[in-house]
Amino acid sequence: MSAYPSNLWSIPLLVVIPILVAVVVNLIYNRARLIKVISLASAICLALITLFSSYGYHWFTGQPALRPETLTFTFDPGLPAWRLALEFYFGPLQQAMIFIMSLILIFVVAVATSGLTKRQGPYMGMIFLLYASAAIIIMVNDFYHLWIAVEIGSLVVAGVVVGSGTSVSHKAALKYTFFSALSGAGLAIALALILGLTGYPNISDAIMYIQSVNLGEMSIILYVAFGFFVLSWIYAGGLAPIHPLKSEVYGASFPHGTAMLQTQSKLMLVAIGIVMLRVFGNLPFVREVMLAISVITMMLGVVMALIQTDFRWILAYLIVSHSGLVTVGISLGTTEGLVGGIFQAINDVIYMTVLLLCCEALYYFGGKTSTRHSLGLAKKAPWLGVAIILGTMAASGIPPFNGFQSEIILIQASLKAGLPEVAAVILMVSVTTFIALFRAIYRLFLKPPETSEPIVEAKVPMVLHVGLWVLVAITLIIGIYPNIVVSFITPVAEAVSLPWYL
Amino acid sequence: MIEVTIQLLGFIAAAALVVIGIAGMLFLDNLIKKIIAFTLLSDGVNLLLVALGYVEGGVVPILIPGMSVSEFAARAALVFPVGIVLTNIVIGVSTTAILVALAIMLYRRYGTLKASKVLKGERR
Repeated sequence: MSAYPSNLWSIPLLVVIPILVAVVVNLIYNRARLIKVISLASAICLALITLFSSYGYHWFTGQPALRPETLTFTFDPGLPAWRLALEFYFGPLQQAMIFIMSLILIFVVAVATSGLTKRQGPYMGMIFLLYASAAIIIMVNDFYHLWIAVEIGSLVVAGVVVGSGTSVSHKAALKYTFFSALSGAGLAIALALILGLTGYPNISDAIMYIQSVNLGEMSIILYVAFGFFVLSWIYAGGLAPIHPLKSEVYGASFPHGTAMLQTQSKLMLVAIGIVMLRVFGNLPFVREVMLAISVITMMLGVVMALIQTDFRWILAYLIVSHSGLVTVGISLGTTEGLVGGIFQAINDVIYMTVLLLCCEALYYFGGKTSTRHSLGLAKKAPWLGVAIILGTMAASGIPPFNGFQSEIILIQASLKAGLPEVAAVILMVSVTTFIALFRAIYRLFLKPPETSEPIVEAKVPMVLHVGLWVLVAITLIIGIYPNIVVSFITPVAEAVSLPWYL
Repeated sequence: MIEVTIQLLGFIAAAALVVIGIAGMLFLDNLIKKIIAFTLLSDGVNLLLVALGYVEGGVVPILIPGMSVSEFAARAALVFPVGIVLTNIVIGVSTTAILVALAIMLYRRYGTLKASKVLKGERR
């Protein structure tokens, strides 16, 4: 793999292919089999491109971030402000994140096309657009694409939620779109402020400008821009105080839709968090603000999960709570913290998808996910019971699963940064996650059924079995060999990290 | 004393639109009025961007034959904010369309556009 900054054609394919698929499946909206074939083939194709693409840049206009001859930045205070550099960067971190997302996309597409009959084309199009928006945010190195992708992502989230067709989903989508309108406008203002201050839409160029020029009183503009960025960060991940909105979105969607939504959300959190650290990391109180939001999100999410009486909603709040785990690592800003945060995002996406696929499988056993009534499913579907327990162990950070590895890195990073109270909250979240999930498992699987009514059982599709067990295997493999993923993350973490107390 | 320029007036008008838009979205109870407030907010952001790209005595950012590159660089209006405004208009229209569609669906179900009634939580 080469680091030479040639204009790589493979990078925009990760955005162009999903957009094209979204258009095509909309045109053939009622041809279920064709939609299935095109969607699955495209998802596999995206995974392969991610796996085999070279590392490097793709720039759309203006200068690339590096001069090909000297490998130095093109930043030059003498350049006119209208000289643009809109670019994508694809490196090891982007490869790891987009590959995991592609893997989840394959299973989500397979499960969705095996269960849906109506509105399949538009719904599948939304899933692919969700992928495209997250891919842009992960690879982007300019504020313009970042803002557009966040806006597209927010509209598509509403579309995926509405796909489940209930009034709860319509309400959730409306509330979420209203807030997205606010945060999207905020991000546009932040973009305008940074552009006005530095003259550069390119993130690397803007950072170079901020670091090389004494901003004096103008630094207040950076604080305002940071405020608007925080708003969009909170919105992207459903962090406190908008966690109820995001939880509603997760709870109101189909479980496989939620799997894709939470994947997009967590990877967006990482990508936007890294941009915030790079641009604003040297301002006082920035990381403290980010850390406070993260800790509050973790605690609120997990407490809300404890009081839920439906497995779907327990997962919805746990997803939000675990978003806080991801952002704690990013907010610490140290190498260990960043490795822990990014690793946690990748692990979280995998084990939460396991649990969401288990939730999807519950629909084939009568469709009840409420924990108010016991179902005694352990005898009926022992394989599902085993899968859900393994997923719970991974989510609770129990060895040898992947959740343990990332959470232990996060705890070590918190202690090393002199923040034992943050480590204690991370431990509390792990334990409470186990309690919340195991309470639901006991009710749904282990406790004898309250009624003698037989459970209406439908055949669980093979793709659901395959998806579930492949992902369980991945949680185990990453748990035993964490370096498979950590080696991709560490170089970026070292480049972005800053000492905790400047 | 601050000199009142077209750019400054643009910034003040933009700030007013943004504040009115946010207040409307937060405090108005009618869904359609909330959506109209969003369009005001969006227009405020657009005006901010346009004002940002304004150059006193500037020219359109097209290199006309006979104009030197240095003169063009000094006088041309900033092109990037205009690009962002165009994108924001498209995004604004899409968002408004989605909001109106969802409001219509909820109106058909609940028979009212009052946000306090329509968006009330349901027992799960």
